[in-house]
Formats: sequence, structure tokens, C-alpha cells
Amino acid sequence: MLDLIEFGLFVTLLIVGFFAGTIVEKRHYASIRKREREYADVLAFAVRFPPDRVTPQRAFLVHGTVVISSDYFKTFVAGLRNLFGGRLRTYETLMERARREALLRLKHDARRQGAKLVICVRFETTTISTGWAASIEVFAFGTALIPERDTGLAFGARSALPA
Amino acid sequence: MLVSNLELVPGRRIVAHYGIVQGSTVRAKHVGKDIFAGLKNIVGGELKGYTELMQEARQEAVERMIAEAQSMGANAILNVRFATTSIAAGAAEILAYGSAVQLDGP
Amino acid sequence: MKLENRAPAEGINASNENPLIELAWLLAGSLGVIVALVIVVSLAAQWIAPRIPYRYEAKLAATLPSFATAPDNEPGRRVQAELQALADRLAARLDMPDGMVVRIGYRDDRTVNAFATIGGQAVFFRGLLVKLDNENALAMVMAHELAHLKYRHASAALGRGVAVGVILSVVSAELGRNAAAGVLGQAGMATLLSFNRDQERAADEAALSALHAEYGHVGGAIDLFEVFARLPNEQRSPNVPAVEFLRTHPLTANRIAAIRHWAADNGAAIDGPRRPLPPGIAALRK
Repeated sequence: MLDLIEFGLFVTLLIVGFFAGTIVEKRHYASIRKREREYADVLAFAVRFPPDRVTPQRAFLVHGTVVISSDYFKTFVAGLRNLFGGRLRTYETLMERARREALLRLKHDARRQGAKLVICVRFETTTISTGWAASIEVFAFGTALIPERDTGLAFGARSALPA
Repeated sequence: MLVSNLELVPGRRIVAHYGIVQGSTVRAKHVGKDIFAGLKNIVGGELKGYTELMQEARQEAVERMIAEAQSMGANAILNVRFATTSIAAGAAEILAYGSAVQLDGP
Repeated sequence: MKLENRAPAEGINASNENPLIELAWLLAGSLGVIVALVIVVSLAAQWIAPRIPYRYEAKLAATLPSFATAPDNEPGRRVQAELQALADRLAARLDMPDGMVVRIGYRDDRTVNAFATIGGQAVFFRGLLVKLDNENALAMVMAHELAHLKYRHASAALGRGVAVGVILSVVSAELGRNAAAGVLGQAGMATLLSFNRDQERAADEAALSALHAEYGHVGGAIDLFEVFARLPNEQRSPNVPAVEFLRTHPLTANRIAAIRHWAADNGAAIDGPRRPLPPGIAALRK
């Protein structure tokens, strides 16, 4: 009898984890896409040196960080995966969401301080595990650049200086 | 698709920057490899099974990064970096990211 | 030099595939592997255990407390002696393993059951004895337990239980996750119980031969299973679901049909004179 109750509890958690997790994920993706369009004017690159090395710039570090946890369903599927190996599709969406969110928060940090360009963007991922479940922390950081004097040459327009 | 962890490509000019591209994959090992690894822990030496697993995963991550760059219309990825994280469930995430650019020339 | 952020295509790093499909494949695969492993290991243990010479089983049994006990009073000891005498008569009709000394125990308890265990021991409960009308029915129970001893089913079950327990604990340690391991454990258990049904059938067949050799007919067997069929549910075994798959013994109706088939196949008589119960056992019914 106790076994049945335990099993029933497990199945309930699985179902709740699946449905709740799917809803949360869809909403998060919708929010991410909306904000990506919003922040399309803040440019981010992984290059190390600024595209324009002549104009004096104000440079400062900006970052974005987020911690996303996996739900019961994802953890259970990952546990089963460990028997056979292979791609963990359920965790891949988790990682992608976390990275895109971290990048958006980095752009938000840059825009908040008046920058429209971030270079040398790096990502650091960490796992925070609470016993059996995993939470992912993604930390994105980069250097934001603001031209010292607004010479009227906004980035994106053709520059008179040689590239 | 040219992939490099250099800042620039000698002899070629960067015409346009298209932004950050990422490729990632999360892979789990299977029980067989795990048991074998446990045994290997006694004698030491290379865990060929795991080496292959990580190599495949890294290859997959790079291919996805290239796919993202191609969908943007870029023809090169510069400043490529790799990050590996282990996720509690005995799985590892390989992340490859870089800057998608348009190079001139042939 | 142009500077812009172009959005890459969606779905490269994360697939839109429904996770339920993946779960279905994984569950099917893992349950399949577990069931296959349990079957293979059980077959191996079952095949090996009876082939280990009996003296090792006897030594193992000697390290455990004896099952062949009786209540410390005159009626109890008398019942045990009568059961032992019946066992010795029937054991002569069955080809028991070399070196096995059959020892019978009696428990003054209202449980309606009897069981055979390692070391050539079998135990009978008062609850079962008072339900039987005649010696033939009692002999069927006795012969059935003796057949389990003859085929070394108890040691096969022990070997199987140990081997499967090891597999399941290795699997659950690997997964390190109670939920997944619990589900897979249930799957292993269901497969395990199905072997016991085959063992019970084999024991029934050997018992019928012995019964027929001793009494000239198998009416006692029919009497016995009709008694079982008449038992109200709680007395048969509490908490046992009626679905045969999860029970360790074949359902009574199947067993009665099996007896008639056996009798027809072997040209045995189904009916015949019944002998009365030995006096000490008959006295229990008062």
C-alpha cells in the first residue's frame, strides 16, 4: 500500500514537473525573443579588440547572470539517459535559455550605463546541484564601449576612417 | 566556413561583424563506460571511451556553432573559445562560442 | 566595416522535439534492459543452484536456526511426529537428493499455509491442517512441499534473489536517483514473481505422481484445491491482488484444471477411497 502511494506521488511529481516545466519554458522563450528584438540596438561581439581603434572610448565591464533550475521531469529523464548515454535534449533547452537570458541581461546592463557596443563577451557556466537536481548558472561578461566624444559617427554608419 | 581562435586572419580583411554565435551540446555517458572507468581508476591510464565521447561532443558543438553562423550569412568565425561544464546527472555540456564575421577575398 | 547583430536560426542548439517521445523511448529501453537482465540472471541462478551439491546447502542451513520445530507440548509434538511419518512415506515415492534428510516443523498458528525451505525442511501451520478432511488432501500438500525440496526450488529462489538484488542495487547506484531506480525495481520484481509460478507447476506435477503412487488415485489433490477455492479472501493471503501475474502461485482454478489434465494424460484415476487423518491432526479440528 505504501509502495503504491510512493509510486503515485512520484508519477504526480513527474506530471506536474512536465506540464509546469513546459509552460515555464515556453513563456521564458517568448520573453527572450521579445527582449532580443528590444535590445537589437545594443551590439555584442566576441572579438577582443574594438572595431574602431582610433576614436577614444570609455570602457567598462558589464555582465549578466542568471540561475535556472531543472524540473522534476528533466531530472528523471536525465537519470534514465545515464543508462544509455547520448544527447540530453531536455537539458539543452535549459542551457540555451540560460545563455540567451544572461546575454540579454548583459545588454541591459550596458544600455543602462549608456553603451551601445559590447566587445570581448565571454561565458562561464556553473552547476549548482541541490542533491539530485541540477541548476545552471550562466555568467556572461564583456567590455562595454562608449565613444569619449560623440563625434556624430554612430557605429553602423560608414566611417570616414580606414577600417 | 573558416573557424579560428585568432583575432584576425592574416591576409584577409574583415568586412562585417555579425555578432556572437554559440554551439552547445549536453551529453551523458552510459553505464558501460562508467563501470569501465571505475575499473580503470584502479590501474590508471587513458580513458579512451570518455576521450572519444568528449571529442564527439566537442565536434557536435562546433558544428552547431558553424550552423548558426551560416544561418546568419557569415563566412568565418573568429575568437573561438570552449567551455565545459559538468551537470549533476553525470552529463557534461560543451559550449563553443565565437564571433561570426564576413571576410573578404576568395 | 559593418557592425551588426544578426539573429541566428532557432532550433540549432535546442530541439523542438516533444520530450515525452524521448521519455517513452528511454523508459521502454531501460525497462527492456532490466527485464532482460533479470530474466537472464534468474535463469542462470535457477539452473546453477540445484546443481550445487546438496551438502553445501545443508551446511548453509545448519548455520541458520532450525525450521523443524514444534510447540513444546504433547499435542504439538504428536502432530509433528505424524507429519514426519507421512513425509517419510511420501519421500520414498519421490527421488529425493542424496544426503537430504527431510525434517518437518509444525507451528501452532492460524495462518493457512505451508512452506518448504533450504536444508530439507518444510513447515506446516495449524490453520491449514484444520481445513483438511482426509489424509489424501494432507498428503497432496506434503508431497507438494517435498517436491519443492526434491527440485531444490528454495535454493534456486535464494540464488535468484541474491543475484537479482545485486543487479538492481548496481543499477540504482548507477542512476543515483530514487525515483528512476524505484520504477525499474518494480519492473524487476514483476519478472521475478513469474518464475515462481513455473516452479509451483513443476511441484504440483511431481506431487500428483507421488500421490497416485501412494493411494492409487489423485482425489486428494482435488479435495485440497477445492478447500482453497472455498477460503474467503482474507484467509488466503492478505493484500494479494487477484490478478495472476502479480501472485507467486497460480490461481486455484488453474491448478484444478491442471490436475484434471495431468490425470487424463497419465491415465490416472481422479477418485477413490479417502484415508482418515492421523488422530493427532484430526484432534486439532475439535
